[in-house]
Amino acid sequence: MSIIDLTSMGEPQKDIKNEINTRLKKLQGEISEFCYQCAKCTSGCEAHKLLELEPHKIVALLKRGLIDELVNSDVIWTCMSCFKCRERCPQKVAPVEILFALKNIAVASGKPIPGKYSAMLQSILSIGLIQDAQTVSNHNNQTIKRNDLDLPDLSKPVDGNKFQLVLSKLAIEKI
Amino acid sequence: MNKKIGVFVCHCGINIASNVDINELIKYSSNLNNVVISKDYKYMCSDNGANLIKDSIKKYKLNSVVIACCSPRMHENTFRGVVEDGGVNAFNLEIANVREQCSWAHDDKKRSTEKAKALVRGAVAKARLLESLNTSKISVNPNALVIGGGISGIQASLDLAEKGFKVYLVERKPSIGGRMAQLDKTFPTLDCSGCILTPKMMEVANNHNIDLITYSEIKNIDGNIGNYKVKIRKKPRYINLDKCTGCGDCVDACRLKDRISNEFDMGLGKRSAVYIPFPQAIPMKCTIDGKNCLMIKHGKCGKGPLCVEACEANAIDFSQKEEILEIEVGAIVVATGYDLLDPSKVYEYGYSQYKDVITSMEMERLISSSGPTSGEILCPSNNKIPKSITFILCVGSRDETSCTWCCRIGCMSALKQIYLIKEKFGNKIEINISYTDIRSFGKGYEEFYRKIRGENTNFFRGKPSDVRKTQDQLKMDIFDTTTNKLFEIKTDLVVLVPEIIPKTDSDDFSRILHISQSSDGFFLEAHPKLRPMDTFTAGIFLAGCCQGPKDIQDSVSQASGAAGRAANILSKKELEAEPQIAYVDVDTCSGCSMCISICEYNAIDLIEEKGKKQAKVTEALCKGCGACVGACPSGAMQQLGFKDKQMISMVEETV
Repeated sequence: MSIIDLTSMGEPQKDIKNEINTRLKKLQGEISEFCYQCAKCTSGCEAHKLLELEPHKIVALLKRGLIDELVNSDVIWTCMSCFKCRERCPQKVAPVEILFALKNIAVASGKPIPGKYSAMLQSILSIGLIQDAQTVSNHNNQTIKRNDLDLPDLSKPVDGNKFQLVLSKLAIEKI
Repeated sequence: MNKKIGVFVCHCGINIASNVDINELIKYSSNLNNVVISKDYKYMCSDNGANLIKDSIKKYKLNSVVIACCSPRMHENTFRGVVEDGGVNAFNLEIANVREQCSWAHDDKKRSTEKAKALVRGAVAKARLLESLNTSKISVNPNALVIGGGISGIQASLDLAEKGFKVYLVERKPSIGGRMAQLDKTFPTLDCSGCILTPKMMEVANNHNIDLITYSEIKNIDGNIGNYKVKIRKKPRYINLDKCTGCGDCVDACRLKDRISNEFDMGLGKRSAVYIPFPQAIPMKCTIDGKNCLMIKHGKCGKGPLCVEACEANAIDFSQKEEILEIEVGAIVVATGYDLLDPSKVYEYGYSQYKDVITSMEMERLISSSGPTSGEILCPSNNKIPKSITFILCVGSRDETSCTWCCRIGCMSALKQIYLIKEKFGNKIEINISYTDIRSFGKGYEEFYRKIRGENTNFFRGKPSDVRKTQDQLKMDIFDTTTNKLFEIKTDLVVLVPEIIPKTDSDDFSRILHISQSSDGFFLEAHPKLRPMDTFTAGIFLAGCCQGPKDIQDSVSQASGAAGRAANILSKKELEAEPQIAYVDVDTCSGCSMCISICEYNAIDLIEEKGKKQAKVTEALCKGCGACVGACPSGAMQQLGFKDKQMISMVEETV
């Protein structure tokens, strides 16, 4: 009794797969096994057009238990978390949640995080935002600051230290 | 009689009108001799179209009608009724097929209009010579014959018997029950197959309207709708059915006990030479298998047959001979079922090489508690419980090199077996399934498929190229198109799901019944959508898998439908006979008997009248096929409605 992927000589990692499915069940109520590969997720995937993310392939590999291959792949980091796949899946499978789970496993096992991700994380920790409001230029080459637009101030954590503490605690728990 | 012909041209929406110039056709046909009126309408088969024809008949005192429309196969009967209603004999109608043979077949409107004119011209020429024909009546025998005692035949018999008709149910095997009796549970409801089948079998046994004739085969069928004469070959059972109590003492006593391969268990178990096929058999009687019994084969069995010693009822009778029964019925329901493709034909999967490559039917017997292992799933090679089972779907199905069609039950039967295996072993057993598509189309089927998907089953979308043997396991490579990866699978037991094929003797049987087969070999229905239970032979109906692969629910539906169709005939005292039959011009007939040898329906006899030999047609038997007309060297044989002079003038005018 054995199933081997002859290209990578990888074997199904059933335990991790079951863990991910348990997590999915909590979040969404459905597990990856129900996926019947209609690829509606990939047809509408925003990250597919630019970055070649194929959510239905991710689900297929997960169903087969080939977790290492997924975790080692850069492509799991291209998901833009638009949640369209979760919204529209006819089998109520949520590829976006699967990708979160895979990214968490990657982080927990000490895999390097793509550079942009660390910068974003740093920014959240310090100001509570992925990035601060930027100065942009319009069609007439005028530079515009947020403050010029009469918009309310961006809300930021009141107590920076407490905010960081809560976030770190959450991250540890989740991973 | 002076012929007054009306020509009616149908547009058939745009089917005809778009490719034939209707106005030109009307103008042309109104100038033909004897044509007094020529009219067109968008849909001649509609109520308004019919009224147009009827009104015109009255107004212009028509006595013949030509309708240019679709094929006569489609609407000849409709229009016969219309002209009859209008006061013209139904056989003074001629159809010019300007749709299938003209507007649909050609692109050039100008030339197809010319062809339409020629077809109408020919039809008018024949209509000038048409004569009124009168339909005679034939009496109807109210009994029915059902061939095959599987679930379809059982359902058809019960339905007909409930309607009050006497039914002869003929089954080839010692017991009724068919394939369904071999199944453990049924998809998608997981009803125990035996539990829902045996009450119906008991009903058959107890119903006074049903004459159950088991271990018998149809030898010959003569006659026609309403009056079929059937010869049945009753094979010797070597058991007196009146005396046998079905106690089974002889089965245990038999010298060949546990030495003969048991066909009910698909060869996985053994039986005696005298046997009861399964515990719920109907009739619950023993049968001696003449091919194996030592007494029958060699005339002796040790110092004396042990079964005779064991039988207290004195039921064993080695002197029984084959009998021929003759019965008469009005209608026939054919429910002869199917065979399974021998998977060794798909040699690469190693069915005949490796003991642990089995078919889904063999798996069914392994799962069944009445099976050879009492419901334990064991590898046939070593009688061990498998740790991994792999199903391969579509073995020989959807395959241009084998059988092109879908077996319709393979996917669901495999999913059901997976459910039953998981029920026994839980997740301790690894289940793989290799599929091309999962077809779960019926009510509740998709839900069942989803359930199985959720239960840790490894679905591989791809077929293995072959199955090989390693030291103690079977091995195969499957390229899975969902992951785009080649997987190597090692497994203990491989289950092949083979194609459903027509009964191997269905070619011969279709000849006995005078019914057609489709190109795949299954019996052909008269129309795939609108007459799915009828055959082209009036009075013979189809039920179940003999017409094409079906699951139990579809088989039962079709069986009830076929019984209803048969009852339509049986409930009538008389039927109208086909009036367009052959007749003999006595003066020209030389009595050469050519027609007699060619008639498939035994409708012609040679008689002697006033010292002259001549052919005579029995009107009730003649089907109007016209074979004798073509064979007659002197032209003495003529067919009403298709006489030589009518046909020749039609041909001359057309070309």
